[in-house]
Amino acid sequence: MRMEARPLTGAKVVKTCMVLTVLLVLTVILATMIGTATVTWSQLWNVLFGNSAATDPARLVIFRIRLPRIILAGLVGFSLSLGGVVFQALLRNPLADPFILGVSSGSAFGAVLGIMLGFGFTFGIPSLAFGGALLTMYLVLVLGRKNIGMESSTIILAGVIINAFFTAVIMFFIATAVDDRLHTMLFWLYGDLSQSRFGELVIAGPAVVVGFVILYCFGKHLNLITAGEEAALHLGVDVGKAKLICFLVVSLVVGLVVAFSGLIGFVGLVIPHLCRMLFGSDHRLLMPTSALGGAIFLIAADTLARTVISPSELPVGVITAFLGAPFFIYLLRKRGSRWTGS
Amino acid sequence: MDRVMNLDRVGYRYGSHWALRGVSMEIGAGELVGILGPNGSGKTTLLKVADRILDAHEGTLSLRGQPIQAYNRTALAREIAMVPQENHFQFVFSCLEVVLMGRFAHMGLFQFEGERDMAVALEAMEAAHCADLAQRPINQLSGGEKQRVLLARALAQEPGLVLLDEPTSFLDLRFKKEIFELLSSLKKERGLSLMIVSHDIDLSARYCDRIVLLDRGKVYAEGTPGEVLTARNVEAVYGCPVSVDNNPATGTPRVSII
Repeated sequence: MRMEARPLTGAKVVKTCMVLTVLLVLTVILATMIGTATVTWSQLWNVLFGNSAATDPARLVIFRIRLPRIILAGLVGFSLSLGGVVFQALLRNPLADPFILGVSSGSAFGAVLGIMLGFGFTFGIPSLAFGGALLTMYLVLVLGRKNIGMESSTIILAGVIINAFFTAVIMFFIATAVDDRLHTMLFWLYGDLSQSRFGELVIAGPAVVVGFVILYCFGKHLNLITAGEEAALHLGVDVGKAKLICFLVVSLVVGLVVAFSGLIGFVGLVIPHLCRMLFGSDHRLLMPTSALGGAIFLIAADTLARTVISPSELPVGVITAFLGAPFFIYLLRKRGSRWTGS
Repeated sequence: MDRVMNLDRVGYRYGSHWALRGVSMEIGAGELVGILGPNGSGKTTLLKVADRILDAHEGTLSLRGQPIQAYNRTALAREIAMVPQENHFQFVFSCLEVVLMGRFAHMGLFQFEGERDMAVALEAMEAAHCADLAQRPINQLSGGEKQRVLLARALAQEPGLVLLDEPTSFLDLRFKKEIFELLSSLKKERGLSLMIVSHDIDLSARYCDRIVLLDRGKVYAEGTPGEVLTARNVEAVYGCPVSVDNNPATGTPRVSII
């Protein structure tokens, strides 16, 4: 019998993720130092490990402003990229992104409503945004669910319709907004991480971690589902149950981070594709690498967003689209057949 | 002979149309059963009901003496494997990865494929004559190669019963024969039970121990190829005049359209 190497081992997953984690930490350190007020290496060291005074301006910049924002960017990138991978597998559609089923428009509806009513960014707007995400999720499930199991084309169609409806409602709000709320709305719609606080991280952080662990349990299931739902049934996957759990968990995670960040496009599309090219299609490796890659990418993009026209800021979604769209076209042209599969 | 699967007056309907009605049959251990019948006679539905992709609306199915409902999906996948007519892969996997998917039902939640899973997968690929394809991407294979990989995936499940849904319909003459030869040797060497749906009457006649001829969801005739494949039966079911003689080389029935 021929000797073949095992395609994937737990050790390989751990090693690859450790390399990416080191890259992530380096990105975080760099992002902490760069900004309108430059933080030097010695200042950073002092604040983190030395005894800096509580009134040290560097300390304030790092802990009050930069770190919460960087960590939130990391969590959002992590979740959106993970969401992209999972939706692409569940819908067997390489062009799916975390917003395909309308979580985005529901969330945006909630947020825009919150801005309209003059709610705050710490609690009011995220709550309404998350509520909106839950509402669309529920509608998609009710509309798209057939007897048992979920059929992909039906559910995508349900998502498209719900997206269209809520987009119309959002446009109505925008058209009738008069004062600076309009500016706030537009920023939210294009992704804005400038309002981050540590309090948000306490909510989002554990939720994202729990969501990731649950989804990771379904890595093998997702591999089989991408090979066809009937094939997956024959091979022993309870497809209806696996799809429902993954769909709920990924929508909750995406809905939650979007409530804090607004709509940031392209992360959930570009990063999973890049990782699929680098690491293959096995979801046990693809999920953690995409998630970490998404975190690195969004931290870098947000650092650009707050520095390129400093002291003013761009919505981070502008940066991800600027970088993401050309890169995606490049990938498509170079390796078009590699991930579409036929 | 031990019975692997037993169907008792099984019925399945799409809406109000019964695709399968009152079907009783059994599959013995180490038996190759051919399911023949024209389009729409319920062949594929029969396979799906047998693997509980569809739940029968009438009648009972038992697997190794237990009602089939007693098995959950994972347990069922350790007993029954399916080779589909076609399997489209949306994302790229190597053939070895595809065959290892057959090990899903034998693995724990967090478990990665171990030594034994690898050994079983490689052995299945040897048996299905596709070991040389291990590192090739599945979506770059020809029809015949892909079918052998899907057969290897089914064997990697270590099932007692393999269902095959028209596995030869996209294959040329040589590959058709190769698949049937392969099934026949798997049956002899491993005592596997096999149930194959096919449109290849002559090849089924040559390799199957027993033929079940379906007509509009019912069993029209059942028995050895010689008993079932008479001109009268084939004409009645397929609605097409035929002559049946014996293949001079193999001595098995040969059906020719006239």
